[in-house]
Amino acid sequence: MNDQTEIRQPETEQNETVPATGQAEKEKSATSQTGNGKNESGESEAKDKKQKVGVYICYCGGNISDHVDVEAVRERMEKLPDVAISRTNMFMCSDPGQELIIEDLKNGLVDRVVVASCAPSLHETTFRSAIERAGANPFIYEHANIREQVSWVHHGDPATDKATTLVAAAAAKAGLLKPLEPVRVDAKKHTTVIGGGISGMTTALGIADKGIDVALIEKTSAPGGMLNRLDRLAPTGEYAADIIEKLTRKINAHKRITLHTDCDIVDVTGYVGNFVITIKNNRNTQKGAGSKTSELKNGAIKTGSIAKGTSETELHEAGTTGAGVIETGAIVMATGSHTYIPVPGEFGYGRNKQVITLEELISQLKKVNIPESSSKFSRELFTWNGRKIRSIAMIHCVGSRQIPGIHEPGSSGYLNEYCSRTCCSAMLNASVTIRKAFPGTTVYEMYRDIRTYGRGQEELYNRAAENKVIFMRFEAGAEPEVKTREELESDTSDNLRSPASQAFNGRRSGEPQFPLNVTVQDTLTFGETFDIPVDLVVLATGVEPNDVSSLVKAMKIPVGTDRFLLEVHPKLRPVEFPVAGIFLAGTCQAPMDAGEASNAAGAAAAKAAALLNKGYIELPPFVAEVNEERCTGCGSCVEACIKEGALNMVEIETSRNSGASDEKVKVARVTPAICLGCGACVAVCQDSAIDLNGWALKQYEKMVDAIVADGMAA
Amino acid sequence: MASQGNSKGEGKILILATESCAYPGADSVGQAHSSYPANTYILRVRAPVLFPESFYFDCFRKGISGIIIMSCGEECPYEGAYHALAKRLDNVYKKMKAMQLDLRRLRLTAICTVCNRAFLNEVKQMNALIQELGPPQLSA
Repeated sequence: MNDQTEIRQPETEQNETVPATGQAEKEKSATSQTGNGKNESGESEAKDKKQKVGVYICYCGGNISDHVDVEAVRERMEKLPDVAISRTNMFMCSDPGQELIIEDLKNGLVDRVVVASCAPSLHETTFRSAIERAGANPFIYEHANIREQVSWVHHGDPATDKATTLVAAAAAKAGLLKPLEPVRVDAKKHTTVIGGGISGMTTALGIADKGIDVALIEKTSAPGGMLNRLDRLAPTGEYAADIIEKLTRKINAHKRITLHTDCDIVDVTGYVGNFVITIKNNRNTQKGAGSKTSELKNGAIKTGSIAKGTSETELHEAGTTGAGVIETGAIVMATGSHTYIPVPGEFGYGRNKQVITLEELISQLKKVNIPESSSKFSRELFTWNGRKIRSIAMIHCVGSRQIPGIHEPGSSGYLNEYCSRTCCSAMLNASVTIRKAFPGTTVYEMYRDIRTYGRGQEELYNRAAENKVIFMRFEAGAEPEVKTREELESDTSDNLRSPASQAFNGRRSGEPQFPLNVTVQDTLTFGETFDIPVDLVVLATGVEPNDVSSLVKAMKIPVGTDRFLLEVHPKLRPVEFPVAGIFLAGTCQAPMDAGEASNAAGAAAAKAAALLNKGYIELPPFVAEVNEERCTGCGSCVEACIKEGALNMVEIETSRNSGASDEKVKVARVTPAICLGCGACVAVCQDSAIDLNGWALKQYEKMVDAIVADGMAA
Repeated sequence: MASQGNSKGEGKILILATESCAYPGADSVGQAHSSYPANTYILRVRAPVLFPESFYFDCFRKGISGIIIMSCGEECPYEGAYHALAKRLDNVYKKMKAMQLDLRRLRLTAICTVCNRAFLNEVKQMNALIQELGPPQLSA
């Protein structure tokens, strides 16, 4: 048997992954899952009537059947009391495979479906769609993963036995499945984008272009974010200012976008489709930069209302400070990041004005014209603070890739263990700019690793080398040491060693002394220690996420250990939070360059627009549901709930105790649109009165029973 | 084949794997065709905070020899759920101790979508443990 069996796919597979929407739309017309205990029919049905479970086992063209005796599994399944039909097919995901399920459902032979095949991430949707096409509810489906978790990791009899057990467990769960309807909520066709950097602006434009109104909220007086502080962007050399100007012009001209500058978010409440955002205007502190703003006239902002032509000056003069409210259907977090601030004394920063950050250097380089070609005889020098700069030490990885036990936390109090990703290219870009415009200035790049990872960025490294940038590599924990000349001279144990240090001593008569010396142990020259006399030290400071802790708390969105916001899954559900209707874009998620931030913004815009496009939202039905007949109103589930507003105590009239219909009792009630479906409430209910639709505790208990049963395997 | 084992008579390991992290992680192990003992049964869960304390004891009582909760750890998409789970497991461990049930039979770990090696290590260690300890002894 060959462990490296290739995945063999049927030719029709791609076509079959597309759900049939017409039938689906018809099926989804009703509002459901009100959480008021009325939706009990499914479970009752499961108890009262024996389910007819159909089990369909896939050969996967040999991927499964080379290791699992598929026919033996089928025969064993036929013996299970709840299993009405057990079938096999070469490719269950193919047209003929899906047709088996559809025909059996249409003929009433089965009313629950189990497909045993590859990972559910690949074809769970395919089979749910097939069930829908048969006119049945797609949530009567359970998936057994017997390829990735059986045939590709086990062989022979153990593989067949394990496949049998997993399919039996899936059938046991299927017997308890009940039809579910998506949670449908009306949604405002309006999105709020928080953060007016390149991500926020791109997101806003992407959504507005789809016909959805957007409120773009920026805390400072002008949009642009981090790009406002950048110059030419690597590797294309495009000016950041040009990009901002272009985007700002588009935003100002777009009838569906309202830009709120100088605004803070005070509170966020509500749920997908119906969020309420309270914002505070700080406009009396700063005047905007010509951006179009509106609406905040000390009162509620009508959703999607566009007050075009209201200039910021008018609002400013009207004294429009205070709170306003935005009703919105979705939120995109584009809150961005800032550069790391070195702790005082880190590489001499803060103690010597000739030690600066890359951001400060870039600010100075904005004024520099890069000649197409410079004379090889030119000795022109870069100038900083009126001082001629003969040599610069550019030190990489400052505030990035910090190692516990080696590095100290920065001013934020955290160790930044991640790579900031953008600083290598930005540093090399700056070096090339200096070398081209000021050939007399020597540039030393002192790095741990060069990570010019993006398209066209590796060329920057080559360009730097061609322009005679001198590279030196140091190890983590042996960072370059920056000393003033006075500190160096007072250090009697330190001898000047390197050829470079000869230049330090051998400066031409009349020239000022170098103010700083950088000592570095260079692994490129097998650990030789160099003393480099320099006029300027530039620190490639990394990226840290902006502090959005109040928003995180209000919206209950997850944050990683690195303090960046956390999407559900980078591949399966990118740019989405687990809280429905809230998305993220740009560097609030991770360090990324302007291009990557724009890509993320495009993804977030597409998802937000797709969500709100219809004016109502259908959410997965996997939310908690209370059996009000069983609920004793103890409130422990409300206490355990991790999402505020998802579970509440309500008073209902009941006749369950005395027979009188006017008896009032308190019970827990779920708001399906807010419920995250985590199940935290299920575990604490002593009366088993609350469970998670589609992922019920009882279903897991049945699966465990099937796993421990020894009768199935041969 | 040596690492395969037979599911019969060797004790069974229940793995509760989160759909966002550990379950795709287990799929990733499969995609790499890395073998591990066949007495492991992976259940896909949204968040293991769903399970009450009694669930774990019921599993042991029914004959499950070891349980590995493969969560998303601190990166759980449900803010607050991981801490609630950890707190609950503290109570489970206390009760296991009182019942003289080896605490190592229940393990909480974080497995990401590409944690192949970590997944295999966890399974290997739990399998070695249950072979050493034998089936759990709990009164019905």
